[in-house]
Amino acid sequence: MIVFQIISLIFWLIVIPFGLGLLPVILLPEKERSVGTIFLSGYLFWFALFELVGIPVVIFKVYHGYSLLVVLFAAISITLALAGVSYTLIRRKKGYAIVLPGKADWKSISIEDKLFWLLFVLIVGFQLYMSFTRASFDGDDSYYVVQGVIAQQTDTLYRINPNTGRSAPLDVRHALALIPIWEAFVGTVSGLHVTLVAHSVIPFILLPLSYLVYFKIGQKLFAEKKDRLPVFMILMALFQMFGNVSIYTNETFLLTRTWQGKSVAGNFILPAVFWIFLCLFEKEAGERKRKDELGYWLLLGALNLASGVSSSLAVMLSALLVAGLAFLFAIKERKFVTLVKAGLTCIPSVAYVLVYLIISR
Amino acid sequence: MFGIFMESLVIFKLYTGLKFLILLFAVSWAYLLLTEKDKRIRLMFVYAPVLILLLFLCPISRKAFVAVGLDGETYYRILWTIPMGVITVYAMCRLFGKHKRIGLVVTAGMIMACGSYVYSSPYISKAENLYHIPDEVVAICDMIKPAHEDAHVMVVVPEELVYYVRQYNANIKMPYGREMIASQWDYYDKVHAAMEETEEIVIGDLVEATREVYCQYIVLSPTRLVEGDPADYGLQMIGNIDGYRLYKDPVTAAVVEEWDQYYEEE
Repeated sequence: MIVFQIISLIFWLIVIPFGLGLLPVILLPEKERSVGTIFLSGYLFWFALFELVGIPVVIFKVYHGYSLLVVLFAAISITLALAGVSYTLIRRKKGYAIVLPGKADWKSISIEDKLFWLLFVLIVGFQLYMSFTRASFDGDDSYYVVQGVIAQQTDTLYRINPNTGRSAPLDVRHALALIPIWEAFVGTVSGLHVTLVAHSVIPFILLPLSYLVYFKIGQKLFAEKKDRLPVFMILMALFQMFGNVSIYTNETFLLTRTWQGKSVAGNFILPAVFWIFLCLFEKEAGERKRKDELGYWLLLGALNLASGVSSSLAVMLSALLVAGLAFLFAIKERKFVTLVKAGLTCIPSVAYVLVYLIISR
Repeated sequence: MFGIFMESLVIFKLYTGLKFLILLFAVSWAYLLLTEKDKRIRLMFVYAPVLILLLFLCPISRKAFVAVGLDGETYYRILWTIPMGVITVYAMCRLFGKHKRIGLVVTAGMIMACGSYVYSSPYISKAENLYHIPDEVVAICDMIKPAHEDAHVMVVVPEELVYYVRQYNANIKMPYGREMIASQWDYYDKVHAAMEETEEIVIGDLVEATREVYCQYIVLSPTRLVEGDPADYGLQMIGNIDGYRLYKDPVTAAVVEEWDQYYEEE
């Protein structure tokens, strides 16, 4: 049973997002189609997909909504992941490629930098060990984690008061932020209780995912001085561990409330906005094909939709951040079209707010 | 308006914990302001943070934030759009340039000295199981769990266990949950009043309150004083888990069983 559960978790949390990530990277430049980018894009795409499939089910299906959502989402995820893999394999013969890490890359790194990378891995390993062996008390779990437990055990979505268990009208304020239900989904398809998934499994995905975003940011910041990247990552990992200056910082959320939507917003969604902007406006961007740029804008659109999975505030913050950065770049490059493109990527955020307003009436 | 500005300033202070890490960030930001040549990095990591901070402190933003229906208590999350970690670490990596080893040691030292180690937080403890909830809760829930998902089971537990019961079993109901404990809400609940708001738990009052809401099970904390013998009120002790005494109320249980039978036949 345990072997099945572990294989299932690997399938759903690594294989499926990777397969899904192969779709959006089709539109990215070849050098950007690395394993890390595919994985990040995959999760953004997967969360966005969960919102697209989940929100109608939450709103319209009063009873047995969760079981319907599990079947629908599993089927769509597998189909799209297969589509991503198939496209990559078929187009490979025509020269389409993804960038896989090779021996040459590792050999080109100095021994000192290898030791730095090892140190970084050890720090992150320590954080993962602590997240597994230490329980972090947070009162919000009695609301958010319980929403997932309710879904798994009563087959309803946001229509039972998590505090008491009494029937309730649709909890509009939280009903569109589906991360507890996504965690329940991961538990159900792997035969695991959602509380166990949230506290003991999810950190093994969301912590590395957060560092992957910082790695991608670091790659862009140190594009010409790659040897500084491992030191950057070590210090970033330390900053997370010592950033607990108050209960409010995103660093505190990352290591104490990893599984909650708020942490996903602060440590995955919002940093990913900076990563995508660094890609969009990198130095050699002038030479880039329009198609390549389109890929990043679409990714930003997926991010704005994916942000809804974490919280309604995240939707506003990611859209405002996108709009704000686009405004600054539009001024810098004297291109009004940048603002228009950024505005188009925020359409999912506007749709989210409209749905929220409609169902809250 | 000035009052709102001051409130936002207080939120900012609380966010930083008034620890030196914010100073390290400020110095790093200033270093980038003076030395960073790459315009896109200046835009994202020098100019944007200033604009965000101004926006955060601006009273109109706070008013707008609340006006669109967002919870004022989450206003601090606007600060998450300033990537303080990235700015600090990037600036330090640039500052030390080729002297990576020295830079690593010095910056790591400064981060550790100026920050606060997350695992020393009083909210973190050794996990008792993979659910990361107390073993007592698992044992209690396993003892009282409903025979089938439609059966009605309700339990009242001491405050320290309230957060966990439904994280383990959502088919177990409670007369009240976290909403009665969190300080930001000021609700009244008769069961909570009898269970938590008196120096000693008066069993007679508690049983009266639990019977009104058809709560079949009562868990008493090992640390609370009790006035009256639960047996005198018909309660049956069905377990003692690490000092937590678990009682069943046969009077309520009989009523609830009747309902369950009725609904099953329906």
